[in-house]
Amino acid sequence: MSEKPESYEAAVERLEQIIDRLDSGQAGLRETLELCGEGRDLVTYCTAELDAVGEGLKELRLDEIATKLASSAEPA
Amino acid sequence: MRRRARVALIGEVTGFSRSKAQAYFELRDSEGAVPCTIWLNELEKLGLPEQGLRDGTEVVISGGPDYYRGSAHSSASFSFRATHIRLAGEGDLLARLEALRKQLKAEGLFELQGQLRRPVLPKTIGVVTAESGAARRDLLAGLERRGWAGTVVWAFAPVQDRHAAPAITAAIQDLAAQPQVEAIVVTRGGGSLADLWAFCDETLCRTVAMLRVPVVSAVGHERDSTLIDDVAAVACSTPTHAAEAAVPLDCGTARLGLERSVAVLSRAANGAVRARTPHLVALARGPARALRRERLALNQKTREIRAASERGIAERLGFQRRLAGVVLERAARRAAGAEMERRRVALHRAEVALRAHEPERTLERGYALVEDRQGEPVTDVGTASAAERVRLRFADGTVGAKIEESQ
Repeated sequence: MSEKPESYEAAVERLEQIIDRLDSGQAGLRETLELCGEGRDLVTYCTAELDAVGEGLKELRLDEIATKLASSAEPA
Repeated sequence: MRRRARVALIGEVTGFSRSKAQAYFELRDSEGAVPCTIWLNELEKLGLPEQGLRDGTEVVISGGPDYYRGSAHSSASFSFRATHIRLAGEGDLLARLEALRKQLKAEGLFELQGQLRRPVLPKTIGVVTAESGAARRDLLAGLERRGWAGTVVWAFAPVQDRHAAPAITAAIQDLAAQPQVEAIVVTRGGGSLADLWAFCDETLCRTVAMLRVPVVSAVGHERDSTLIDDVAAVACSTPTHAAEAAVPLDCGTARLGLERSVAVLSRAANGAVRARTPHLVALARGPARALRRERLALNQKTREIRAASERGIAERLGFQRRLAGVVLERAARRAAGAEMERRRVALHRAEVALRAHEPERTLERGYALVEDRQGEPVTDVGTASAAERVRLRFADGTVGAKIEESQ
């Protein structure tokens, strides 16, 4: 992947563009293979993003975070 | 009559209707009703909420008696002409709410949150709600239905009493200060307008409007309209809907979509290569075929050149031979003429010389040649005597002779 997508929705939007281009049948061999490579990278990115929110709900309390931050900010 | 004292009346609105210039209704209580009118331009100045003056609404109206003398086509009538109307009780709250709503809207605070980008798949969302409320459970159920299992940062706050508004405002600000929080949900269950009043707080609503993190509000039920709904990025009727608004992407559907994308990409890549394979194979064979064609053409040329060369050599050889023959012939002819003459002269000389030595010439001069019976010349007496019989050869013929004596 040349660069990391800006966001999940940006990645999906680009992926849809790629698939539209491939479906049009107008891409040459080189472009097709490049688009497929880019598309696979995007799918990998999107899958990783989905995995990041699919491994179990984590619940935090804001007051605990604030306490933790306050204690870590205090000089030893 | 119009100079009579102004008074305020309390009652419920019934039979509300409008003409081009006025609104008509009856103000009714348990003891009776008073027909009322108000000029539309005065009604509009009051800034009452839309549908605020509907049947059953309790209002406080100020004004005084008025008389319409009628016309050729209409009857005269008495009425209470209102110059000011405000909603009574909850109506008061609504009136204040609508006034604040107008003010915030006029300041453009309703559009700010709507302009923020809402991530379709936030990893962390902040939630402001009551710790023990059903809204919390409903929100979690909604997130689970989305297939979303990221991080929820709870900011619990009272959602009803007089401390609620500042606590909720502080919670929203604290959540927005967490860099990992990508969206904030503010939610509580339904209630009366007074119960939900904290969510109409001006400071709270201004805070939400100015926030750089999108806020999803789900306060009360569908019919309840709090001011936070107007300033938030998205207003939802239930916590379940708020979950869907906070995580717009259905993770299960998204995974299926990605699987389809992978299939499309694989098909496209393989198809692109497969579709071009015959052409590529043909292209790959092209050079070999062209080489073979050129080689055949080259061999043919070589054979032609060789044949032409041999033919040329043969022709040249033949030509040279013919030329040599002609030259030789001419030379021979030239040479032969002189030689023949020389030889002819020599031959003639030899012939003359030979002829001079021929026995016939001698015989012609009268000599005879003695030969024995075998024709061998007899050149001495002894041989002649021994032979006894000899032959005498003359120029014109031969005669036999007998040796009789020797001397």
